[in-house]
Amino acid sequence: MNPSTTSAREGAPSAPEQAAALLAVAGLDTGYGDTQVLWDVGLEVRRGEVVALVGANGAGKSTLLAAISGLVPAWAGAIRFAERDITHTGAERIVKQGLIHVPQGRRLFPGLAVEENLKLGAYTRRAGSPTALATDLERVYTLLPKLAERRAQAAGSLSGGEQQMCAIGRGLMARPALLMIDELSLGLAPNIVDTILAAIDEIHRHEGLAVLLVEQDVQIALERADRGYVIENGRIVSTGTGAELLRSTTVRAAYLGE
Amino acid sequence: MPNAQILVNWLLIGSFYAAVALGFSLVWGIMNIVNLAHGSLLILGAYVAYFAFTALHLNPFIGIILAMLALFVVGWLIQYIAINRVIRAPLLVTFMLTFGLDLLITNLAQQFFTANNRAINSSLAGVNLTLGAIVIPVQNVLAALIAVLLTAALSLFLARTRTGNAILAVGMDRDAARLMGINIARTYALTFALGAALAGAAGAMLAMTLQFQPVDAGQYTLFAFVIVALGGLGTPWGALAGGLLFGLATTLSGSIQAIGPGLQTTVAFAVLVLVLVLRPRGVLGKAFYS
Repeated sequence: MNPSTTSAREGAPSAPEQAAALLAVAGLDTGYGDTQVLWDVGLEVRRGEVVALVGANGAGKSTLLAAISGLVPAWAGAIRFAERDITHTGAERIVKQGLIHVPQGRRLFPGLAVEENLKLGAYTRRAGSPTALATDLERVYTLLPKLAERRAQAAGSLSGGEQQMCAIGRGLMARPALLMIDELSLGLAPNIVDTILAAIDEIHRHEGLAVLLVEQDVQIALERADRGYVIENGRIVSTGTGAELLRSTTVRAAYLGE
Repeated sequence: MPNAQILVNWLLIGSFYAAVALGFSLVWGIMNIVNLAHGSLLILGAYVAYFAFTALHLNPFIGIILAMLALFVVGWLIQYIAINRVIRAPLLVTFMLTFGLDLLITNLAQQFFTANNRAINSSLAGVNLTLGAIVIPVQNVLAALIAVLLTAALSLFLARTRTGNAILAVGMDRDAARLMGINIARTYALTFALGAALAGAAGAMLAMTLQFQPVDAGQYTLFAFVIVALGGLGTPWGALAGGLLFGLATTLSGSIQAIGPGLQTTVAFAVLVLVLVLRPRGVLGKAFYS
């Protein structure tokens, strides 16, 4: 392993780091049915941090996000978010705490209009006044003007890039503290990816949004990340700053074809 | 029978059929449950309206509201106690469960309410408008209007309200709906309760305009199935379109002397088979809200 990266096999981060962590996953095992997918996974995201999770297809990236957001139950280990144990909390209750998962494949509600999809993103914020909802809608439309043009159109009729914008916008409508995005760039043109990343960066810089970016495109993810994790066959095999991982010979050999 | 009379009969029975299928279509579309107990819930609604009229002397239209409220509660309980436990099970399991519920409710109704034919004979029952040779029963017209009103109300509720959108979202993508913070169990309970309430409304209309007894339950489940197959598993308007199409088939076949009104169930089956062979997605069908 490259000396500039540290092994994360032990899982548990050191104590001072854990105190500052917004999201802390430790010793996580999970899977589907009898098939174990993740082994002893440890990962953390601090407040306002951009963290990349990279790895090959089938390495367990999406399963890790699903376990964090409560869609897939944890078999062992612990998940903490904002100082609360959410290991066994249901997905619909985790959303209320500001941990938002934008799933792979967008998963929009195809028969509903773009604006209805966005409003469902704010579903848990019942207490919020209608004006707050309108303000947030305007914020999303300002960040992603394409969505404003398409607001009355059925989400299922959008292009791939517009659908991803809608999915991200829907995630932002929940006013997240941490946004987990699964395969943001998959199948999209580079200029669309840039537009979406710029919108996320805006919220990140001005409101301290933390981001966990899951990507097959290692370059895109590590270039923008404060820190990154490399996952292989369900185990975290390497971690470091984004720049360190990009320089790492193992990462370059395995994911950048060098 | 003059053609205009056939037209009137068709619109009246077609709207009633829409009400029969409305809740069935909602539950199927959102929860992917073919609710075989739908007809028995409808018959329960008919009894609520019947006893509200005979024992409490309430106006039959108030009976519709009472039937909806009572069946809403019954539907919520059935969902929470029984169906929630098998919601992730294969379709066959919910099939068996609702079939069992249907037998249970029908037999309990027979036990407590007897197998006698019942009907509400209100002061409006014999009142007709006559236009030349055409007879228009006032009570049936009011029931048909309520059926159309319920279709519009359900459609608006689903499309325009936060809760309605949440119900649609759960129907389209259950996991994505959870990621919005929507509680699936509660949404299913509400959906099933609404479906039962709509069955209750149709039952109250049945009690007002026709006769009923417990064993009729199976027939109305069958009708609902055919109507949804005709209209497609889409919006509430699909149920209305399916109801009108099915009404057309039964009215026309009933007015043809060689067939006659006694073969209604046979016609229902024949229409179902024809639709499934020729257009499996329904005459007006499209995939659910997509």
